This record gives sequence, C-alpha cells and structure tokens, in this order.
Amino acid sequence: MMRVTLSVNGHRHEVDVEPNLTLLEYVRERLHLTGTKEGCGVGECGTCLVLVDGHPVNSCLLLAADADGRVIETIEGLSVGEEPGPVQAAFVEAGAVQCGYCTPAMVVAAEGLLRADPDPGPAEIAGAVAPVLCRCGSYPRVQAALRIAAAGRKQP
Amino acid sequence: MKYVGEPVTRVDALEKATGRAVFGNDVALAGMLHGAVLRSPYPHARLVEIDTSLAEQAPGVRAVVAGRHFPFTFGASIQDQPFLAIDRVRFAGEPVAAVAADTELQAQQALDLITVSYDELPAVLDARAALAADAPLVHPDLHTYRRGGHEIVPHSNINAVAGFAHGDVEGGLREADLVFEDEFFAHALSHSALETHCAIARYEPADHGYTLWTSTDRPFQMRRELAAALGLSGRQVRVIVGYVGGSFGGKSTLIAEAPAVALARRVPGRPVRVEFSREEDLAASRVRMPAFVKLTTGVMRDGTLTARRAEFLWEGGAYASNAVGIAVRGPKAAFGPYRLPNIEYRSRMVYTNRQPSGSYRGYGTTQAAWACESQMDMIARRLGIDPLTLRLRNGLRDGDPWINGQIMRGINARETIELVAAEIGWGTVDRAPAAHLRRGQGIATMIKETATPTSSNVVVKVEEDGEVVVLCAAPEIGAGQVTVLRQMAADAIGVPLTAVSLPPTDTATSPFNGPVASSRTTYHVGNALHLAGQEIRRRVRALAGDLLAVDPDLIDLEDGVIVQQGTGPRLTLGELLHASGPEGHSLVAEARYTSAGSALLKADPGGEWVSTIFWMIASQAAEIEVDTETGTIRVLKVAAAADVGRPVNPVACRQQIEGGVVMGVSNTLYEELIPAGGRIGNANLADYKLATAQDVPEIIPLIVESDHPEAPFGAKGIGEPAAAATAPAIANALCDAIGVRITDLPITPAKVLAALAEKGREEPRRG
Repeated sequence: MMRVTLSVNGHRHEVDVEPNLTLLEYVRERLHLTGTKEGCGVGECGTCLVLVDGHPVNSCLLLAADADGRVIETIEGLSVGEEPGPVQAAFVEAGAVQCGYCTPAMVVAAEGLLRADPDPGPAEIAGAVAPVLCRCGSYPRVQAALRIAAAGRKQP
Repeated sequence: MKYVGEPVTRVDALEKATGRAVFGNDVALAGMLHGAVLRSPYPHARLVEIDTSLAEQAPGVRAVVAGRHFPFTFGASIQDQPFLAIDRVRFAGEPVAAVAADTELQAQQALDLITVSYDELPAVLDARAALAADAPLVHPDLHTYRRGGHEIVPHSNINAVAGFAHGDVEGGLREADLVFEDEFFAHALSHSALETHCAIARYEPADHGYTLWTSTDRPFQMRRELAAALGLSGRQVRVIVGYVGGSFGGKSTLIAEAPAVALARRVPGRPVRVEFSREEDLAASRVRMPAFVKLTTGVMRDGTLTARRAEFLWEGGAYASNAVGIAVRGPKAAFGPYRLPNIEYRSRMVYTNRQPSGSYRGYGTTQAAWACESQMDMIARRLGIDPLTLRLRNGLRDGDPWINGQIMRGINARETIELVAAEIGWGTVDRAPAAHLRRGQGIATMIKETATPTSSNVVVKVEEDGEVVVLCAAPEIGAGQVTVLRQMAADAIGVPLTAVSLPPTDTATSPFNGPVASSRTTYHVGNALHLAGQEIRRRVRALAGDLLAVDPDLIDLEDGVIVQQGTGPRLTLGELLHASGPEGHSLVAEARYTSAGSALLKADPGGEWVSTIFWMIASQAAEIEVDTETGTIRVLKVAAAADVGRPVNPVACRQQIEGGVVMGVSNTLYEELIPAGGRIGNANLADYKLATAQDVPEIIPLIVESDHPEAPFGAKGIGEPAAAATAPAIANALCDAIGVRITDLPITPAKVLAALAEKGREEPRRG
C-alpha cells in the first residue's frame, strides 16, 4: 500500500492505495463517485475522462498513486452546488444527451477545452471531443453544446 | 395536446449531464461478489475435463461453477445455449466456468487456476461452409431442442427456414424487359454500446427465484427467457432496470446474466456481479447477423419493377439467440417501399462456430436494405434513369397494397425521398475538386415494419395530491423513451408534465410490456397510455360530478385542473381527490393495448402473418468525396428524412435521425470484426473502429409526417429506420463519384482501390 494525498472535487483525501489501483477505480469504488464511467479500461474510448490539473485525462490509465498531489475534478465536481454548471447546462440545452453514458466524459472534455481555449473554433471543438466515443451519435449536438458554453463564457 | 409535439427538454438529460444517473454497472449492493468468466479459446471442441479445485481454494473466492454444476440451457428462439458449456464449446469465447470472489481481481486471478482440457473439433466458420454436405454439425441434436414453431432442417446446420410468396414471380420475370441478378454481403457488426454488458444476480432462497439488476431493453422477455430455462414461474424472476447505456438491440437476451445467475445459485442471498470487459463485449456477446443476399429483379425499360425474388443466407453463429425472427421477417425489407406485384423471399439461417448473431438495430432490415437499394441504383444506371426518378416512379403510396395484400395506411415514402434529394442538392455536385478527389451523390430509402402483434400494459396511479406515477416496463435505453412516454401520459390524462413520473422498471411491480425494440414503444405504450388516460378521466368526471353536483359530461380535466364547461376552473385534481377521500386516496387505472385483431392487419389469405400495424420509411441522400490515391471516403453531407407519423418530441426524433446517420457511417466505412482463425483478432476499440466526432458529416435531419388511423397522437416510431439507408446511400454515391460498385460491406479503402484498379483494367478494352 502507498500513502497518497488526492484532491478530488475540492476535498482532500489522505489515503492508502494499492500500487495498481487506477484513478478510475479509486473514484468509483472508494469515493463512490459513479458519474465517471468505464468503457474499456485501457484508454481506447475516452469514457473515463476526468480533469487532472485542468486537463482531460483517461482516468483508467492513471494510477491513483500517480495522482498524488494533483487536483482532480470529476463530473460531479463540475456542478455548482445542486445546480448544473454552465457546461452541463449547455449539454441539456443543446439536446446533447441520449443514453448519457458518454456524457460525463464529453462534459469533462468540453470543460477542459474551454479552460485552455475560451474561444475555440470548429476544428478545436471537434478535436477536443474526438477522444470520447459516442455510439448514440450525439457528436453534432455535443459540439453545439460546446459552442453554447463558449458563447456563455464570453458574456460578462 | 399540450406536451405531445413539443420539443420538451429530455427529462433524463440533467441527471445524466451531472453524473447522477445510475446505470446498471453503477449499482453496488451489500455483500456483492464479483464474477469473472473463463472462456474457450477454441471455436469448436469437446470439453473433456475441468478441474476447479485449485480455484476454489484461491484467496477471496466464494464460488466456482462449471457447466456440470448448472446444466441448464436457454434461448429466446431455440433453447440451445448452455449457461456454461457442458460437454462442448461452440465458439471461441464461450463461457466454460465462472468464479465469484470478494474482488474482481481475485476472481480473475482464480480463473488462471482452473485447468481445462479440450479435444478440438473441426470448426465451421462461415455460412456457406455450414451448408456443405459434409460440414461439421454445430448442434447435432438440434431436432430435440425446445423451440417455437419455425421450420428447421434436422441433422444439418440449418436452424431456421422461412419464406413468403405473393403473386407470380416467374411470370413477372418473364414479362420483364430486363432481369437483374445480383449478390450482396452485409457483415457482422458489434453493437458497441459504451456501457458493456453487466448484470447482478441474486438467488433468493425463500422464493427459489432470482433477482436481476441489469441493463436490458426487454425486462419481461428476459424474465421469460430465464424462467423458461430454469423451470421457474415469471413471478420468481424479478428484473430491475435503471438507465441503459445504449442497447441497439444488443441487450436483449441473456448474456452477462447467464454466468451471474449460475454463480448466484452457489451463494444464496448474495448478489454476484458480472461485468464484461470491452474485449468480451466485442468477441463474446452478440453481433449483427451477417447475410448473403441474392436479388433477382425484373424491370421494364421505363424502370417499372415487375417482380423480385430475394434469397437470404444468414450466418447465425453458435447459438440462435433471438435471431430466428430476423430470418423470418427481415427479408420483407428487401422489397423496399416499392410497388412490386410479384414477390418471393426464401430465407435460411445456419449455425456456425462463431459468436452468436442476434438483434441489431433494424432486425435484418439494414442487411436487406443494403441489397435492395444497391440494386436499385444498378438498375437505374443500366437503364439510364436517374436513381431518384426510379425510386419515385415505383414508390408506394398510402392506400397501396403491401407484399401480402395488406392495405398500407399512414405512410409517406415519397416525401422522405423528395426532401432528402432537395436538401442534398441532388444533381449538383462539384465532381472533381482536385486531381485525386472525386465527389458523388447517392440516395437510398428503406421500409420497416414493427413486430406484430405485440402488446403493452400500463398502470396509472394518480396520487392523493393529483400527481401521477405511471408503471410500465419501458426502460430508458437512450432514445428518450421516458420523456416521450411522460409527454403522452400528461396529455392522455390531463395533468402537467412535471406532475408525471415513470419509475425505473421492476417486473415485480410493472405490468407486462413488449420489448423496447422494433421501434414499437411510442406506438404501443402510447396507445395503452391513451386508454388508461381515458379511464382516469372518466372516473375523475364521475368523482367531480358527485362532489360538485354537476353533470359529469360538463367536466374536463386540463393540466391538473377540474374545469366545468361554461363556468371555468373549479378545483385541482389534488383537491378533488382529497375531498373525496380525506383519509388517503389513490386513483388507479390500468390498460392494455395490443395490435392483435386490428382491422388494419387484414391481408390476402395466407399472408396475414406478414401484416404489420405500422410501417416506417426513411430515406437518406449522401454526398461523399473519394481520394482515388488512397481509396479513403469522406462523407461530406447526409440529408436524412424519416416518416414518423407525428413527432411526439421533435428534438428526440432529430437525435435519433442524426445518431442513426453517425452509426450508419461508422458501420459502413470503419467497423469490421476481423477473424483470426476461429477467434476475433481485433476485439478492442483501437482496432474495431467506431466513428469519432471528427468522422461525422454535416447531417440534416428531417421529420416527415403521415396520417396513421390508429397511432396514439398520430405517432408511429423511429429508432431503427434512422440507421438503415446510410450504407447503400454511400455505396451509391461512390458509384456516382468513380463508377465502381462495391457489393460487400464494409466499404474499405482497400476495396475501393481494388475496384478502381479492376475498372482501369476493363476500360482500355472498351476502346
């Protein structure tokens, strides 16, 4: 076991973790934050995206131990109290949610993009969500949601 | 109507966008154990011996089970599939043993301690090989298996034979100016929902039954399949379903449920969870059934179709799953939405030593449409007729007879075709934007029936404050079922949308429903809601009439308010119920809708079984760009129109149409399960490629309406047709762009280049 300090959604957790425990497993099974989903477990589908120091990362590919000292945000952390955050609200408005399984990852990808680039063009938007697979085919509306969220950010 | 027809925000969207929605694999129960499955590496072998003794002693292991401990078989069409292999394995990936342990890792590690000896047998790996006289038999005892009444060929690999004929095909072919005989192949596809198969099972010793927490699109059918396999009553099997992370027809039969149940039996009272890895999902669940299709079509010089014979050979895989219906009904779509006075189809399904085939969005119609719409373009080209004109010339119209003489009411094929042609700018394309790039346009249409007859029950509970709980077994699988049903319930009863809820499905408390499949939910559950709503209104009128001393016929219920004609609002529904039962009150009504017995199903004698309660028609027009140096196809734009009757929720309809195009593009250009001997060589998402956001064309979704006389609020269905016409539209556009015809899917760059090279070799000969 290894002792690490993990900051998740603003809460500090000082915990012992097995060396082979992934961040995905930690978040879902130890913290019971089941908003982050697993699609393949090997980094090929993007379903498990979380923000690590503001960047979208496949949480199945990061060991919890390697997240020591980093700032982790999951989909739950992107809400504002009990209200949806602006990106989440944009997804609802754009009709970008179908089965909803990829939605947390898509929201995380969108949030990650907007923090790095508040005024992204179509190529940047498509590139940001390309790593997340969606079988329901909601890509057009996810991109529309991103445009709505970006526009919302521009307003004072 | 206040809510039906409105683009109401999906009621599940916020929950899903904030990560609070609970899917099957999010469920964690006290005392839950984790299962892992040992699978056969061979496609066909005798199971000689399994030794589980070391695994039983491994750390954390609570149960180990092999076929001999749980020797039952299941199957939705033929009872042919063991929960765990008993004396033979029939596909690479078939479960031979399972372990339940405290952690998933412990269960997986214990698998390594199970020793199995196999005696490999010759395998039959494709449908044509399965038909050979000396082919190994996948199920030598097929004739002894319990099954529905369909025809099989005993002592062969043929596990379903079906057909239908109407008119005089031979005569129609003789009278034709030209006869086209063409063959097509539609490949296997993985559903690849992002949520993999996962089930939790618990054996309930008090009741000798099971509780299942699982993602399925058909709780009652799954209940029936499990109960029949184990000799239990339906009541003894309880199926609980939350949100389903996509199904597309894949979560319809016992898959993860089978090993979970076998393990659960060994640890009474403890839940056992079996979650498939992505590799298991791709290689050891179900696939779209591959089909070899031969179409023989007679046509006059002016393009009028005279006759068509469609011959189907379906590759069923090792177990029949729910695929028999595909073999029996899928071929109907091979005749397209066209007037064809003389038709015949012959359909055979065979066992092979591959992963079982099963339902996949369209239930055989995507394979049939691939053939039909490819050949229509081949006919158009040969006759020198515009493909659009050819389709319109032969198009079915409201009031025409279908292939069995059933009169078609509530269809609008023509507008779907005309609209997509207009939106794509039919006939205007920049053909050579660069030296190595060519562009073309293609159009395709399709028709789909819905399984008939099927039925739906609902129970509507009006609570004492006037709010409504609707009990119906219709899981939300992603298409917006719950939203659409709430809209229809609110209007059927007369209460605000926000006052209606549909709890997650639980077969212990929900009444019976057919599957959320066959694009049937809006129509069938909607009709049941309509009936239940009428009954609620009748009773509310009676209660209000009593309380207010007013003629009930003067009372209406509007958006939760009791309104007296001529006077105005009198009181709320909640106030009415409180007044008529201050000690507590529920107003409960139930209704059942079935399509059985509808006069709309009348057909020519002998053809009634072919009838359907409604048809859906969808068309797509695609513009593509081909790189003649690499063979790569880029789909630039797709216009897609669906005749839905009336949209209950236009946004949800557009989501389906857009999503169907994305899936269609992905299915056609990128997805292929690559065989490696008897196994799948690319059972991962890096090598089984799904379309990403960067592979998506500009999509123009179009909703077309029609007038169906018995549809609830005029609404039919949409889920499956949305995905069907993409493959032939792309193939037709490819032919338009570079003059090559690809007849077997998928359309890969290698095939495009090979076809171009072949064409290059032919052209010099033409002088």
